[in-house]
Order: sequence, then structure tokens, then C-alpha cells
Amino acid sequence: MDSNRTQAQRKQAVRDNIAGWLFTLPSTIVLLVFTFLPAFIVVYLSLFDTNLVGQMDFVGLANFRQLVTSGDFWGSVFRTLYFTVGSVPVAVAVSLLIAVLLNSKVRGRTFWRMGFFISYITPLVATSIIWLYIFNPDYGMLNAALHAVGLPMSRWLTDTASAMPALILYSTWHDVGFAVIIFMAALSRVPTELLEAAQIDGASGWKTFWHVTWPMISPSTYFVVIIYTISAFKMFTQVEVLTQGGPVDATTTTGFYLYEQAFGQMHFGYASAVSIGLFVIIFLLTMLQRKVTGSKVFYG
Amino acid sequence: MTTMRRSVMWQRVNRVLLYTAITALFLAVVFPFYWMIVTSLQPQDAVFTVPPELWPKHPTFQNYIDAWNAAPWLRYFGNTFFVASASTLISLVTSSLAAFAFATINFKGRETLFNLVLSVMMIPTATTLIPNFLIIRTLGWFDTFYALIIPFAASVFGIFLLRQYFMSTPVELWEAAQIDGASRLLYFRSIALPLAKPAIVTIAINSFLGSWTSFLWPTVMTQSQDKQLIEVALNSFLGEKGQQWSQLAAASVFTTIPIIILFFFVQRQFIEGIGGGGIKG
Repeated sequence: MDSNRTQAQRKQAVRDNIAGWLFTLPSTIVLLVFTFLPAFIVVYLSLFDTNLVGQMDFVGLANFRQLVTSGDFWGSVFRTLYFTVGSVPVAVAVSLLIAVLLNSKVRGRTFWRMGFFISYITPLVATSIIWLYIFNPDYGMLNAALHAVGLPMSRWLTDTASAMPALILYSTWHDVGFAVIIFMAALSRVPTELLEAAQIDGASGWKTFWHVTWPMISPSTYFVVIIYTISAFKMFTQVEVLTQGGPVDATTTTGFYLYEQAFGQMHFGYASAVSIGLFVIIFLLTMLQRKVTGSKVFYG
Repeated sequence: MTTMRRSVMWQRVNRVLLYTAITALFLAVVFPFYWMIVTSLQPQDAVFTVPPELWPKHPTFQNYIDAWNAAPWLRYFGNTFFVASASTLISLVTSSLAAFAFATINFKGRETLFNLVLSVMMIPTATTLIPNFLIIRTLGWFDTFYALIIPFAASVFGIFLLRQYFMSTPVELWEAAQIDGASRLLYFRSIALPLAKPAIVTIAINSFLGSWTSFLWPTVMTQSQDKQLIEVALNSFLGEKGQQWSQLAAASVFTTIPIIILFFFVQRQFIEGIGGGGIKG
């Protein structure tokens, strides 16, 4: 009797093992081949000077020496940080303002929310094209508008000094909707009793916001800041369409630099070292995000 | 009496301010779309007018016809639709199966495997682009649809989200199904999966949008014109058309419209998916 039962249990356990591995197998294979394996290959490639079509010279850590000592990589990191510092505070302020406005008793909330969000889901190439036209220094809408209100015009994407601000303007416009949604969700989670208590205590709307709402939503703020920073480091499409990294290298951010070194210059070994540099940066940012917000979800 | 009247007035002023602010921000965000449409309706020479015409004086649909005829757009739409649907469907199947196993089957090495899968999230796709290029070439998949579909046939986000759904499905349901003689697969298909519908919708939208708007990956992994996806094709069109803004705008409009239509249908789920996923662990 007893041995029958353990046998049945053992049979069940074997069946569970088979089922478990079978069910997880397709995902596991895909992840192994296209994520894990590449992670090792990229380390391997980083030790070579290679164009991937014949030339394959072992160079040890020379690519990393070049990475650390040449100014190009750090230049791209610096420009990415410039992009982040220029875009993130504005994006946070604007999206928070929009979210606060939409969370007050406003009619047609779904309609507004959709309008603010729509730029985020529309493809980067299509919207970059219309912004190329808007940024045109000679007949573009932006300069026309600036001129109309008496502000100085700019060469925008065609000038090393103004190309990055233009890229920041476009990207902030495109991505602001994401933060709006995050902040709207965060604001709706702030307990109304807290806000009411503050009001009863005679705090003004402004004071209530700074002393109650702002601390309550700070995890979301950190989340938005870090997600935007990570996506700045990976940014590629809008740079390719708007500036191709130029003029000169004014908008060559790290993601674009990586692509350019690999598929533009065919320096696949060095570009692999850049990939690892990029990985370290994103890894540190992700750790920071997990630590600060306690979130386990990574939106890579 | 007067204080009440004053506060009513104050409220009204507040409301006017509120709507003014929202409308102003809204117009700023939506303006480029308006401008895209206006430009697409302008005769080519009108796009160089200084200052630009805010409203087309002689609107024409000719740009749409010209832009449409200038490239095999139908092919590009077909490619994109095929690739997006295929990778969405396959990744839904693989990730729901895996999530189901992780959530309900007690198999050897489950925790190790799950942690391994989760650790994939730490490896951003941007850093694996070069080795993947090599792998795709080695597999002989360069410039094929396989290169655009199979690497996206698994989704860690999908596994993670669905696992949470399956774990919250009451165990009693599975026990009851077993008593009724249902197999594991039948239970999965007819009970667990339908209960996870909200998660499935969220994952499907993410995956579909992701592959519809993808650009870097197809740029690297494909070459010939008949394999192009819509965004890559649009960028090539920009290269060909230079400053023919009205045709470029027309192409931008018709390549964006499918996404906007899709978004209208699923915007609530999509937005809730993002808003809800933001903080909770």
C-alpha cells in the first residue's frame, strides 16, 4: 500500500519534471541563444580587433585601454549626460504639471490623457521627420514662431551648439507622455485623507503639494528619472534620423557611438568593449533604481 | 454671503485657469501632428513659404498619391504586419507556457531557471546587438524574417507578468479540474489562460507596438528592399526625398495611422499597464 503510494508520487514527480521543463523549454532556448550567449560573445569579441568578415586579431585588453583613455567614449557619455540633464528635469516638471492638472476635477480626462500620451506611442522615425521640417533654420515653423514673438532664431540641428538642445526638445516632446501616465497613477494613489488633513490644517494648495504630495510620489519621480536616463544611454533612432550624430559629433550619444563604431566603422572589437561599458552604466543605473524604488521590474 | 460669492467666483477663475493651462499644454504636444497633416496637404512649393502657412491655402491629396507610388509601401506594411503578428503570437505562446510552469508546476530546478530568466532583464538589447548580428549571420538568418521574429519569440516581461496572474489563480480550480479528469494542458487552455486575459492583452500590445516601431534591429539585420519594415523604409524614403516635405509628411501620416488606430482601441489597457507597472514590485 505504502510503497504503491510513494511510487505514484514518484511517478507524479517525474511527470511534473518533464512537464515543467517542456513548458519552459521554448522560452529558455530563445533567451539562451539571443541573450545569454551574446553576453558571453560580446566579452570574447571585445578582446579582438575584428571586422567580423575575416580579420580577427587577438589584442587582449587593448580595446578597453582605448575605451578608457581615448576621449571619444567619455565624450559620448558626457553628451548623453548633457542630454539627460537637459531633458529629464523639464520632462519631469512638465509631466507632473500635466498629471496634477488632469487629476483635478477636469472634464474629458480620457481625451486629454490620450492626447498627451499619443506622441509616446507614435514611431520615432515618422515624428522625427516632421520635426526635421519644424527645425529647418530657413523656413521651419520653430524659427518662424520665435521670430514672430521677437525671440532670437537658431540654426537648430545644423549647428554644433544648438543641435543637442534641438534633440532634447524633440525627445522631451516624444517621451513626456510616459511620465504623465506614471505620475497620474502615482497621484491617484496618494490617500485623499492626507490631502484633506493638510487642508483642514490650513495648508495652501502649494504647501500641500510640496509637503504631502511630492514626498508621497517620490518613488515615481526616481523611477521616471532613472528610466529616462537609461533610455538616453540607449537612444539611437532619433539621433540617426535627426542628426546622424552630428554636426561633427555634437549629438553622438553613447548608444549612437556604439552603433557607429560597429556598423559604420566596422570596429566590432572596440564596439564590443563599448557595449560592455554601456552595460556597466545601465547596470549601475538599474541597481540604483531598484534600491530607490524597491521595484523588481526592469524596463530595458 | 459675500465670502461665499467670492469663493464661487474664485472657483470659476480656477476652472478657467485650469482649462487654459491644459489646453495650452495640449496644443503644444499635439501641434507637430497637426503640422504633419497640414504639411502633407500642401503643394510642394508651399512648404518653403516664410512664414509658413498655418492652414493650407490650396490643399491637395496629390502628395499622398505621389508618396504612395514612390515606394512599395504595401509590401512594407505587409512585412511589418506579418513580423509584428508572428512575434507577438509566438512570444505569447512561449511566455504563457513558461509562466504557467513557473507558477503551478513543481519541477526540479524551477527556482534556478526562473532566476536565470529574470537575470536576462539585466542584459539590455543594446549591448547584445553586435554578438546577435554574428549569431544571426551564423544561423544563416541575415536578411530573413527569422532574424526579425525568432529573437523576440520569448518575453521575460511576459513570463513575469503572466506568472503573477497564474499564481493568483486559486489552486482549488486546478484540483477541481483534475477531479473532472482534465489534463494539465486542458486546464491551462480553458481555465488559466482565459483568467489571465488582461495580462495577455498588455503583453500583446507591447510586443506588437515594439516590433511595429522597431528600427535599430531591422536596420542591422536586414538589407534587401523586400524585407524592410515600415520604419526602416520610411527612413530610406527620407534619404531619397530630401526636402520634399509634403511627400515626406504624407508618408509619415500613412505609416503612423495604423498605430494610432490600434492605440484608440487599446489605449486604456496600455496606459493602465504602464501606470500600474511603474512602482509595484
